[in-house]
Amino acid sequence: MTHLPARAGVGFKPEHFTAIVTEPLPVGWFEVHAENYMGAGGPPHRMLDALRALAPISVHGVGLSIGAGRGLDPRHLARLKAVVDRFQPAMVSEHLAWSSHGDTYLNDLLPVPYDGATLARVVEHIDTVQSTLGRPMLLENPSTYVAFAGSTWDEVDFIAEVARRTGCGLLLDVNNVWVSSINQQRDPIDYLARFPVDKVGEIHLAGHAPDTDDDGRPLLIDAHDRAVADVVWDLYARAIASTGPVATLIEWDNDIPAWPVLAVEAAKAEAVMALARRGAAHAA
Amino acid sequence: MPHESLENLQAGFTAALLDAGAPAPDGVVDPAGRPAPRRFNVYRNNVVVSLTEALADTYPVVARLVGEDFFRAMARLAALEAPPSSPVLLQWGGDLARFIEQFEPAAMVPYLADVARIEWAYVEAYHAADAEPMPASALAQVPEDRIDDLILLLHPSVRVVASQWPALSIYAANVAGADPNAVAIDFQQGEDVLIARPDWAVDLRQLPVGGAALVAALGRGLRLGTAAAIAGFADPAADLARSIAVLLQAGAFTGFRLADPNQEQTPEGMT
Amino acid sequence: MSAKLLSTALIAGALATAISAASTTPSAAAGDKEKCYGISLKGKNDCKAGAGTTCAGTSTVDYQGNAWKYVPTGTCAMYGTTTKAEFMLPGDRKGGLDELKRDLPKM
Repeated sequence: MTHLPARAGVGFKPEHFTAIVTEPLPVGWFEVHAENYMGAGGPPHRMLDALRALAPISVHGVGLSIGAGRGLDPRHLARLKAVVDRFQPAMVSEHLAWSSHGDTYLNDLLPVPYDGATLARVVEHIDTVQSTLGRPMLLENPSTYVAFAGSTWDEVDFIAEVARRTGCGLLLDVNNVWVSSINQQRDPIDYLARFPVDKVGEIHLAGHAPDTDDDGRPLLIDAHDRAVADVVWDLYARAIASTGPVATLIEWDNDIPAWPVLAVEAAKAEAVMALARRGAAHAA
Repeated sequence: MPHESLENLQAGFTAALLDAGAPAPDGVVDPAGRPAPRRFNVYRNNVVVSLTEALADTYPVVARLVGEDFFRAMARLAALEAPPSSPVLLQWGGDLARFIEQFEPAAMVPYLADVARIEWAYVEAYHAADAEPMPASALAQVPEDRIDDLILLLHPSVRVVASQWPALSIYAANVAGADPNAVAIDFQQGEDVLIARPDWAVDLRQLPVGGAALVAALGRGLRLGTAAAIAGFADPAADLARSIAVLLQAGAFTGFRLADPNQEQTPEGMT
Repeated sequence: MSAKLLSTALIAGALATAISAASTTPSAAAGDKEKCYGISLKGKNDCKAGAGTTCAGTSTVDYQGNAWKYVPTGTCAMYGTTTKAEFMLPGDRKGGLDELKRDLPKM
């Protein structure tokens, strides 16, 4: 498997392009959403070519609908393969979620019930993706807002079993761990402790927004519209202590900040990894 | 292997997402196992709001013309009527002009659909295949005795919006940063708009009389002479020289080729 | 060879005029790349959720044409609400805003 450097990366936004290509680079890699490069050509392709010359790229799919009961759309998988073939990313990842039902694309990462049927479907789909792309992919743990009465598996057990059966790697989204733990009233420390850290090829960090559920209790929304919360930084430090330094992405997709603000977030992640390295050196 | 339970669950989930009046699907619960309609609404709203935002990104001038409240309410209806059929959102939203034409509350802005067509053509040109534009000087290399066989090749990004309204002037007065009151617009004057992206930037300019018909004919792979004649039939005032000059300046050609003089005109070269 | 629709001389003349006009007039499209970066379109596919979305889009009023409550309030007012006469269609097409509205199918 190719690897991203154990550095901080950021989600690429076209508004930052001029700063990225003209200033010293404060990040080690970039992530892009695969679907935004599925046009025939134009500035998106040219900008990604320019980024690729500066740093490794991670292609993060948001529309493959790996949890779709009706099956993968072979046309979309072919489009993903074309993007991967053309831009040769160091990493390819997707979500444990569904977003299409037949010919309707819903543009959201929707939750799946954790049961035997879903497990079989997801495993079958990841096998197809990995054999089509000719490389392993990473699967990301979701942010969820509801549960299913029919779920019979714990989320971590479910994800670990998918990874075991398919050989895929895992993308640990630490903000999603926090958001889902609050929303599902789980223990995030326990979640991290049981997560198969040896499979983690990348970490995501993002900001979330507070809301409330049907009973007026806190419900966190995976909004990607602000800085990473302090509590998520704490969880991240805990995760890094067990995974070791690993490629860490700052996701900021809404109310996008100026480039230096994003660079500061990336620097924080690099600092956490540097502390972990120092701690490991002391322990040795 | 069939997974009917998962498929059925997602069918019900999808229907409820797209219908604000529907109850949350059975089996969608909170951590204590109780029904959770407010939690389900997070998804319902993500779908509707994110699609509305995608249309707002594509149609900033339409939004500025009618105001944010009107635009978002209209875009929401358009998105629910025809949600994306593929995950590639940069290819979704091209039907908004047709939706606007059917949408009675927008009727008081009769040029709105044509402005929407310009904005969609902009997005299409932006994402079109790349190709090197031909410099005007290259045409000087056409041998004089082969002028009748000349076929001009359009750039893959070229689009034309023909409007009975001054759609480009309205568009230009309302793009981000423009002052809508800076220019007086003559509403008696229709405008045909050429959209092309020869390099990094999308270029919009007005075509001379007959230019839209000329581009349509060239797009079918017709010889320049035949295309010019068609443009002339469409409007006797068609200005061939000025139309070609505008197309050259816009970088709308990638090159030319010379048809076999012994071959009949049409299907050959059709694209 | 098919009958010529336009004379060779006419087309040659138009071409020569066009080449000369296109070469002498500076092209508005010839912007430098720096300028062009600024107008990049956003990528439309994201993996975020909207903030505050439990209440942002569930108003059923918005979904029903018969309860439509919005009127255009943007810069179109400059063109649209000042004088209806401005909406006389160009050329010999007759009819103002009211006729245009009458032709539209009802929701």
